[in-house]
Amino acid sequence: MDATETAAVLARARQGDGDAFRALVERHSRSAFRLAFRMTGSEQDAEDVVQEAFLRAYKQLGRFELRANFGTWLYRIVANCSVDLMRAKLSRHDMSRSESLDETVETAEISAHGGAGPERLAESAEIQRRVRDALGALSPLERAAFTLRHYEGRSIEEISATLGLGTSAAKHSVFRAVRKLRVALAPLRSQVS
Amino acid sequence: MSSHYSEDDLTLYYYREGRYASHRERSRSDLSRHLQTCAACAALYHDISSTLALVVADEVPERGDQYGLEVWQRIRHRLPERRSGFGRFAELGRLAGFGAGFSRFFKWDGVALAGAAALLAVAAFIAGRTWQSPGTTPPVAGNLASPGSTINPATRGNPANPSGSDTARSRILLTSVADHLDRSERVLTEIMNTGEPGDISAEQRWAEDLVTASRLYRQDAMDAGEQSVATVLDDLERTLLEIVHSPSKIGAADLEQIRRRVDAAALLFKVRVMSEELRQREAAPDGRSAPRTSTSTVS
Repeated sequence: MDATETAAVLARARQGDGDAFRALVERHSRSAFRLAFRMTGSEQDAEDVVQEAFLRAYKQLGRFELRANFGTWLYRIVANCSVDLMRAKLSRHDMSRSESLDETVETAEISAHGGAGPERLAESAEIQRRVRDALGALSPLERAAFTLRHYEGRSIEEISATLGLGTSAAKHSVFRAVRKLRVALAPLRSQVS
Repeated sequence: MSSHYSEDDLTLYYYREGRYASHRERSRSDLSRHLQTCAACAALYHDISSTLALVVADEVPERGDQYGLEVWQRIRHRLPERRSGFGRFAELGRLAGFGAGFSRFFKWDGVALAGAAALLAVAAFIAGRTWQSPGTTPPVAGNLASPGSTINPATRGNPANPSGSDTARSRILLTSVADHLDRSERVLTEIMNTGEPGDISAEQRWAEDLVTASRLYRQDAMDAGEQSVATVLDDLERTLLEIVHSPSKIGAADLEQIRRRVDAAALLFKVRVMSEELRQREAAPDGRSAPRTSTSTVS
């Protein structure tokens, strides 16, 4: 689909043409899923995010500037849907751990002294599990900002624009995430190295 | 630099961000030199970089070529009705019996659409002039279910004797408005029953969708001379807008204000009664003959 064709499809979708919107869904679903999975760390959550993101995009198509890039616009929606979903899950499970560095440290220490030997720790699957746990202990915003910076290679300015944060807030979300990860993974780091 | 670098500085350095971006060679080389001479900063940087090296992305589960289609199948029935001016015009045309071809026609470009709209306006004018003889039954005021409602009765055949297809179209309209009222009632009920001030963002998104639909239905009701339906929809639209424009993390005062508006207008009651009445009319044999019990009294 070239630029002219994309613009025509977008214009039709904005007028409520279901077939045109379907073309956009078919074209962008896989990239939306990739980002959603990175952001949430869960296949099922990523599926939910993709669907919610397209529904949200459809509702907001009237606000979409036709000269803009639909993929970039959708990227932002997916990122924000991911944050919303993580917040909703956090709220549902009353997981107050996200904002507490102390609890993160405690969790990491329990995890590190919980009987896993060096041999087992050496297995990458175990490392990945620990990393996933540490990422899961970040607040939704910290995780989103960190994912965009670390996995997606986005600059602080891009993270700021994507998540609708000020530059300083985006930067400090990344800082807090790195700090929590460093503390949470310290035992693992010392045993691996 | 004699003092130590902060963890945040070292993080920026690791990611080549801010003042330690790749093109800031001076800052980067200063910090790099410092790391060679300061054991504390070097240890901290080692901690940061070795931590982040552990954080490797999980492999993203594969999604096949048909994934986009699967997503579409899952969401297609959940897409809210969304019609622009021309899209709505096309939809009304479809309801008025022009069929699918009409809708496709209205997917043409703007010039064609504008021309077609003008043509239809002229046609409607001529039809009105031709068919409105003194002996013609006047349009029945307050009859959303009459043929051509939206779809002005004056421009169509005898409203006292609707054809089968007209009745079917009328029922579609009645059902749509009644469904809309039912959905709105649920949002209002959610707001009225919210236990404590808190997050109403879900209700706001819901209300936002309903506002647009409410506006369209109100215009349709006015076109059809259904003043009482239009009045209820107007009240509803104002309240929905107030919900949409309230803070998502709503405080007790804002929540109370919305509730007072709903109570003062007896809005929930009106919405329920109007919905019920439209359902009765929808179920009536000719799509309009059910007693119009309370339309005039609820607004």
